[in-house]
Amino acid sequence: MQQGGNVERRTILKAAGASLAVVGLGATATACGGDSGSGDGTVTIRYAWWGGEPRTIAIKKTIALFEKKFPKIKVKPEFTDYEAFWEKFQTQASGGNPPDVFQNAVGFLRKYDKRGVLLDLKTQADAGNLSLDNFRNGVLANGQVDGKQIAVPVGANTMALVIDLKAFEKAGVEPKFGWTWDEYFDALQKIQDKQKIAGDTGYFSIMYLYDLYLRQNGKAFFTDTDLGFTEADLTQWWEDGYKRVRSGLVADPKKVEQVKPKSALSAGLAASEFTWDNFSIRYEGEGESDYGLAPIPTTDGKDTGQYLGSLMLSGFSGTKHPKEVAQFIDFMVHDPEVGEIMGYDRGILATTEQYEAFKPADDNNKGVAAYEEEVAGAGVLGKITPHPSGADVIEAAFLRIGGEVAQGKTKPADAAKALFSEAKAAFAG
Amino acid sequence: MTLVKEAPARPAGKRPAAPAAGRRGRRRENLAGYLFMSPWIAGFLLLTAGPMIASLYYAFTSYNLFTPPQWIGLDNFTTMFQDPRWQKSVEVTLKYVVVATPLKLLLALGVALLLAQKRRGQGLYRAAFYMPSLIGASVSVGFVWRALFSDDAVVDRTQKIFGLDVGGWIGNPDYVIYALVALSIWQFGAPMVIFLAGLKQVPQELYEAAEVDGAGPLRRFWNITLPMISPVLFFNVLLESIHAFQVFGSAYVVSDTRCGPADATLVYTCYLYQKGFKEAQMGFASAMAWTLVVAVALVTAVLFWSQKKWVHYEEAAK
Repeated sequence: MQQGGNVERRTILKAAGASLAVVGLGATATACGGDSGSGDGTVTIRYAWWGGEPRTIAIKKTIALFEKKFPKIKVKPEFTDYEAFWEKFQTQASGGNPPDVFQNAVGFLRKYDKRGVLLDLKTQADAGNLSLDNFRNGVLANGQVDGKQIAVPVGANTMALVIDLKAFEKAGVEPKFGWTWDEYFDALQKIQDKQKIAGDTGYFSIMYLYDLYLRQNGKAFFTDTDLGFTEADLTQWWEDGYKRVRSGLVADPKKVEQVKPKSALSAGLAASEFTWDNFSIRYEGEGESDYGLAPIPTTDGKDTGQYLGSLMLSGFSGTKHPKEVAQFIDFMVHDPEVGEIMGYDRGILATTEQYEAFKPADDNNKGVAAYEEEVAGAGVLGKITPHPSGADVIEAAFLRIGGEVAQGKTKPADAAKALFSEAKAAFAG
Repeated sequence: MTLVKEAPARPAGKRPAAPAAGRRGRRRENLAGYLFMSPWIAGFLLLTAGPMIASLYYAFTSYNLFTPPQWIGLDNFTTMFQDPRWQKSVEVTLKYVVVATPLKLLLALGVALLLAQKRRGQGLYRAAFYMPSLIGASVSVGFVWRALFSDDAVVDRTQKIFGLDVGGWIGNPDYVIYALVALSIWQFGAPMVIFLAGLKQVPQELYEAAEVDGAGPLRRFWNITLPMISPVLFFNVLLESIHAFQVFGSAYVVSDTRCGPADATLVYTCYLYQKGFKEAQMGFASAMAWTLVVAVALVTAVLFWSQKKWVHYEEAAK
């Protein structure tokens, strides 16, 4: 040991140096991972979305199609569920490394526009890389904020009431267009009396449903910068809701909690649930009954307060390949074959090319198409209202605090106060 | 005389060189040591120390991840202490620590006492009881727990036999925390192994002497075992309570990521996570983190102070 000390030390130093070099190389390699150009002109763009497995399978097929038609562009997919998606996205975006193209929704547009994350696609359209023509029913406007096109819709969806057809039939109640809230709750009462199950799964915690109710009454959930209703409005809404939990008209929140991630409707705890119409496909897969779409109850016998919302595609403002990103979005929203593959998973196809290419064959897609036709035909569709920065945080808070009310842990008045206080912090953030 | 004169001259010429060479050698050896440690040092500085210092700064700022942090002094702390959800998270965490830690240690000690006796297959028993500690922190066990304690699942059905129908623990804000407590207790294997080691250290002759004096098993436990293993007990109390303050994974998974229902499983770190990563209020989240650090340090200090009163060290006795 002692004699060979010098030699060993030298070896040791070399070994240590080598290990440092390896660490250094590793760091360089990782750094390169984010880059995407290569010698032969092939570029790689990252595409991220949220959604269930059927969506992921379909999107992967459309990516393969795109890569075949644009051999110089490679697409790297990233996908997860909704909540994890936005957590991850926020972290990536703050580090300057979000995906080049990603799925987006109306609640996030102002937030990320304010933070300078979103690519203005109008410029790309002007450069001829992307067409903004042929969008149906004016949904293109869903992706516009302050005159910028920061997202392009892939579909159009609207809120609906999903009902357990068998339960409704057995109770002898039939929903009809323009029915009022009173008529709706009477129907639930009949179901409860005859079927011994709750009528609804917890309507009063869904922000987008309360938005419809407010719109029926000449208000809206959001204004450009604030909440569009008063604490008293919300207190009343939650008081009514809690009363209906107590009477059993709304399913026991303790049971609803425990069947997650399954829906309480497909678990057979209740006979109806409010959600976006394009989500209705999940119930057939999860539950044992038959499910269908029913109209949103109204206040005045006509106006449902509905509008067409959208899932959209956005690009990252700092992408190294804005042209390719625009080409990719263009392909995804206009190519008829993509429309055929995707169907109505993200809502009714947004462009005429795709809408005409896809002929719904199964009951669910047919139902969604018929539903939106009915709503559009009734002439009640309004314009989407603003979603200020922070809308996403408020949606989560609304769901959580509504849940506390349902559990009887927070009084409606205190709950409304809490929501207003959290909203204030969210708008400031 | 010549000897006397020459003697200091020689060392004066030679000796300084020798230590210099030695120092250089030692320095080179140190350098090698540091180089070997460099991956760890780099990791510590970059991934632990750096972020910690940064978070201490952020604790006094408003920081949404995108715009540069703005200094707001103690505002995060004053907002935090008045925030009803923060108060709720403190309440939930304290409940968890105070209930789970003693129960877990009691069970660990009880089983350790049983396993300390020599019997056939003791290795097997020890392994079996230790096993949950290895897998208990995993996400999959969280899912299993959620399934076990749900409505109409194993626990619920067993309860119903005894007429205790609560309709499942997971969806009930009054019970769900105890499902987490149960998950913590189930992982008693780690403190149990430490107790076992402590029990092995107790000199057998003390028991023999006590037996001769007519002390029964309870008396022997109270007057010999407990004082003798009190350092181990102290160690376990310290470790387990610090651990319990930082519980996250089980609450997050068992509650289906929402730390509910009605914030009933909103443990401190879960609220911290929501504030930091869902709402992007990094300043607030950092203030929360440092408050937790201070709180845990205080608890640790109190425990250390209290050990004078109840922890018995053999050296001190001598």
